[in-house]
Amino acid sequence: MSAILEVRDLHTQFDTLDGVVRAVDGVSFDVARGETLGIVGESGCGKSVTALSILRLIPPETGRIAQGSIRFEGTELTALGEEEMKGLRGHRISMIFQEPMTSLNPVLTVGTQIAENVVRHMGVPWSAARERAREMLDLVRIADARRRLDEYPHQLSGGMRQRVMIAMALSCDPQVLIADEPTTALDVTIQAQILDLMIELKEKTGTAIVLITHDLGVVAETTERVVVMYAGRKVEEAPVEALFDNPLHPYTRGLMRAIPRLDVEADAAGTRPRLQEIPGLVPILTRPIVGCAFAARCELATDRCRATPPPFVDAGGGHTVACWEVTL
Amino acid sequence: MTAYIVRRLFATLPVMAVVALFVFFLLRLAPGDPAAIIAGEDATSEAIAAVRAKLGLDRPLVEQFVVWLWALLQGDMGVSIFSNLPVTRLMAQRVEPTIALTLSTLFVAVSLAIPIGVVAAWKARKLVDRLVMGFAVLGFAMPVFVLAYVLIYFFAVQWQLLPVQGYQPLSAGLWPFAESLILPSVALGVTYMALIARITRASMLEVLQQDYIRTANAKGLATDRVLLLHALKNASVPIVTVIGIGIALLISGVVITETVFNIPGLGRLTVDAVLKRDYPIVQGLILVFAAAKVIVNLIIDISYAFLDPRIRY
Repeated sequence: MSAILEVRDLHTQFDTLDGVVRAVDGVSFDVARGETLGIVGESGCGKSVTALSILRLIPPETGRIAQGSIRFEGTELTALGEEEMKGLRGHRISMIFQEPMTSLNPVLTVGTQIAENVVRHMGVPWSAARERAREMLDLVRIADARRRLDEYPHQLSGGMRQRVMIAMALSCDPQVLIADEPTTALDVTIQAQILDLMIELKEKTGTAIVLITHDLGVVAETTERVVVMYAGRKVEEAPVEALFDNPLHPYTRGLMRAIPRLDVEADAAGTRPRLQEIPGLVPILTRPIVGCAFAARCELATDRCRATPPPFVDAGGGHTVACWEVTL
Repeated sequence: MTAYIVRRLFATLPVMAVVALFVFFLLRLAPGDPAAIIAGEDATSEAIAAVRAKLGLDRPLVEQFVVWLWALLQGDMGVSIFSNLPVTRLMAQRVEPTIALTLSTLFVAVSLAIPIGVVAAWKARKLVDRLVMGFAVLGFAMPVFVLAYVLIYFFAVQWQLLPVQGYQPLSAGLWPFAESLILPSVALGVTYMALIARITRASMLEVLQQDYIRTANAKGLATDRVLLLHALKNASVPIVTVIGIGIALLISGVVITETVFNIPGLGRLTVDAVLKRDYPIVQGLILVFAAAKVIVNLIIDISYAFLDPRIRY
């Protein structure tokens, strides 16, 4: 599989009153054509900033891509002019966001919002773009698509709005779809429907999906490969089965232990074992992190971990981990 | 929508009734005796009483009100105490310059303020924003009559580009008409423009932070479409509200501007009538201004429903 998107040593920083925040601090990964890559990590680990960096949507007043390379089909995006970047956004690489309630424009009809993307990138007249919008609504299984085109977002439920976002994002047949927590704001049954829909459309269109989430359940069900991020850095990358069968990084293991399980039996007194949380707090990103970002919370940490960032160790089968203490 | 418009129309009737009541009693209870003024400085008390009887000013207030209101409902606003001409005819003669001045001021202010506000919000905290907003603060702080004389001094007296004062009706030709309106519109419009520009900037700044603007940018839409459609339409409700409030300010501004530029409009008529205590004219004018205000509010309320589909009454 050839990579359509290659992110290398990406550093994205923001200026704040407390100093420079290193939101993304040297992340590298590839996205192959047509694959589903999960990026997982807790809030503030740099998942969303990575996504916004790829589309170069970091607000220039406060943030910047400080270092690194993002190549899309061989083109270096960090060196591209703003107008060329605009031609790419929504066309070759598109994005859907976490909040379907606020991510659609409340004063424009659903049809206008989908069709304008088509008009912009396909250079077709409005009538054809509207027809394309109707097709897309059919594709994301919104009933009575023709009528829905003239409705406003407030007339739709949360799940329907996320379907509209998906229809909009896929309307120009992008090569890569970045989905930033697309189901977090939805209730559980709708979450499953939306994820199934995304996977089904991916099979149909061959669009690669970068699925950003903090939900390991979502990762297990939908992705093929996973990147685990912690404090702006990648700590582990693996095919999804390998990650769940054999998590290698102490942070990944901690996350797995923190998942509530239904198959754990209660003891005679009716109590279940306490969930094991990861002790401590995420590091403050305004201070440069020396050594491994996870060292302060890691039970295996040694002086070497605290002094020198660990290199990636190849565990075979595309499974790599950044840890000094890992035993393969 | 039609039901809403009809309902709003009926709701204006009680407002107008209260205005009528207020206008009538306010003037009757104000100090100063019009009969004494009309009769002249050296008039005997008999002569004053005769004038008072002739005008009905000696009747009980309630009776005066009923007579006045009945006539008003038939479109008769009475007769000027001084010129003996019907108030409606006096106002009709003066209404064209005032409408022309109000609309041209509105046009000058809105057509400059909205682009200024949008650009300032787009380039927030950059040099363009600071320059434009500095200019807006200056404009807002400048009294109409000061700016008016400054404009007259440079454009009319020094450079002789535009007439010093006066008004040409539309029937005199488009250019003479427009020429006579430029300086008054700019003088009156600057304060108003500053106000709208500031609100446009503030409202746009808030909207530009919203998630749907990020979505629009993630679609790679052109900047003008993001700013003028996605953002401005969402920012428009506060802007339209301020334009409406500003029309109330314009009415008082018109009085000053017409006086400075010697424009024979309703503003001048108001000043003259107040100074002479010509009650019927003052009453008629207040009613007309109040009705204009009520209609403007109605239009603005209705426009909300068009600008924001979530607003339904």
